[in-house]
Amino acid sequence: MKRKPKLAIAGLTACSGCQLTFLNCEREIPTILDRFQVSFFPLGESSGGDDERFDAALIEGAVSTAQDLATLFALRRASRLLIAFGTCALFGGVAAMNNQLCDRAELFRSVYGREPEKDLIPPAPFTNFVAVDFSITGCPPEKTDLVALLGSLLAGTLPPTTCYPVCMECRSRENSCLLLDRDELCLGPIIQGGCNARCPATGIVCEGCRGPVSQANVAQEMELLLERGFDREDIRRRMSRFTPGWNYEQRD
Amino acid sequence: MRMSWLPQGHLEAFLNLLEPYGTVHGPTVLENGVTALAPITSPDDLELKYRHTLIPPKKYLLPFRDPILTLNDGCYRPAPPVAPNLVLFGLHRCDLQAISYLDRVFLGDDPDPNYAGRRERLTLVGLSCEPDDFCYCDPAQPAAVDLFLDQAENGFLVTPHSPRGEKIMSEGTGLFLSSDHLPSLLVPLAPPPTPQDPELRFSDNPLWEEYARICLSCGACSACCPTCYCFDVREYPSLDHGGNRLREWDNCLFKKHGEVAGGDFRRSRLDRLRYRFLHKYCGFSPLQGVTSCVGCGRCAKACPVGIDLRNVLEVTYRGAEPATTRDQATGTGEVS
Repeated sequence: MKRKPKLAIAGLTACSGCQLTFLNCEREIPTILDRFQVSFFPLGESSGGDDERFDAALIEGAVSTAQDLATLFALRRASRLLIAFGTCALFGGVAAMNNQLCDRAELFRSVYGREPEKDLIPPAPFTNFVAVDFSITGCPPEKTDLVALLGSLLAGTLPPTTCYPVCMECRSRENSCLLLDRDELCLGPIIQGGCNARCPATGIVCEGCRGPVSQANVAQEMELLLERGFDREDIRRRMSRFTPGWNYEQRD
Repeated sequence: MRMSWLPQGHLEAFLNLLEPYGTVHGPTVLENGVTALAPITSPDDLELKYRHTLIPPKKYLLPFRDPILTLNDGCYRPAPPVAPNLVLFGLHRCDLQAISYLDRVFLGDDPDPNYAGRRERLTLVGLSCEPDDFCYCDPAQPAAVDLFLDQAENGFLVTPHSPRGEKIMSEGTGLFLSSDHLPSLLVPLAPPPTPQDPELRFSDNPLWEEYARICLSCGACSACCPTCYCFDVREYPSLDHGGNRLREWDNCLFKKHGEVAGGDFRRSRLDRLRYRFLHKYCGFSPLQGVTSCVGCGRCAKACPVGIDLRNVLEVTYRGAEPATTRDQATGTGEVS
């Protein structure tokens, strides 16, 4: 019988929500466990040996401590494929939202009341440190994207990626446009789709949890929102909630 | 010439007459305020004076996501569409012309089985409209339609356009009165664009640069276009060694549309905009020289930044001043 692919599922600085997405696949978990060997999954209390090698490691979270970096390097070395799992791993996410606004050392002192450890790292995405083979965006990621990845791994490949903005699925669902029809601060045009416009379909604006879409015209979205009467700082705060590194001048 | 007259009071009976041909869908206003084609159970659901629906009737023929193959036991099999009989009631002439164009694309030399399967189960009932600021059309262009209803005060003039249309009318003889009225002719507010010279996409009209600067690449223009049919084909292996191959609406405003192994045909936003122009107004082979713009006006109305490709044509052909970006306050407020 063919060897089961070995999986590692781990988290760095994050809320564990992405790993919970795995546990939320109730219907698929029996099949997943039948097809894969989940060798390392601290949140689910599997512990692997030190010399374990993995076919794929799904890792959530931003890198913000020396321990995070050590875990990331160790899993990179031990895994054939490293998958950035969720928005924090891809863009820094919520932990990184204030990177541009405040000094880490000062922040540390005010929260912990002592001098910061010298290995403090401003929360950063994986690609700042290691090569990433595939990524699944979302805060949290869509279950369907996770299942598609696992199915593709079994077939010896990686899933096709979606590269359209939230507006595409939003229009196709015949939603009322929150940006144009209701004058709300919706980031749909510049945010990666694939969520089936989950929020706008229920009347909630797109807050950008899936990060920038590849062809985002960031400067024009900013201009449009300013023209529609929103405050520049409010727009920046909203945009940096999940992705701190926007280039607000980017048009191409 | 004697015409068939359907009094307003007979509309419900007319809808009942259509029922044997499939579930009746027509223009209605959804709970979220969006005008859409959706199932109709009584004439009260119908929005007979609608301008246009947000998403055109292509959603019935080319669903956003459409499974085309399933993989089981190492073998690919076609995934025939689940296509119930359907009556689309109240389609405007532009949308009927769009279906006629899609028929040319998908039912040509090598018919697409999923499209064909859905199309043959579709009965089309047209309805006259009143043009708005965004639309323009050429009533003389071919339109796919079984029956057409011209709205007048207190009723409709009904004309059959296919054997199926004739059959429906013969089944409802009691419903129709004889009339001397003639259908009112549409008076479009703007002339329709004629097929364009493909080289026009390289024109140095400054409007191209301006549009490329402001285009958000949100894709609304293409998603809402009744003749945009580009799709992406993707395959998703499943956990049980099977899989699904599906097609999904694609969009030439997106970067991935022009990407191939090792390169990108359309690297800049300007290239992508020009490509949309090329397809819409110049046509591809084998439909080279056929404009696929039916003038419904949805793209200009749905665009968050007021891009209207017609302006590129007007400036070049009439020597007019480049039009400025439309004031954001106009035209983007309604959803209908």
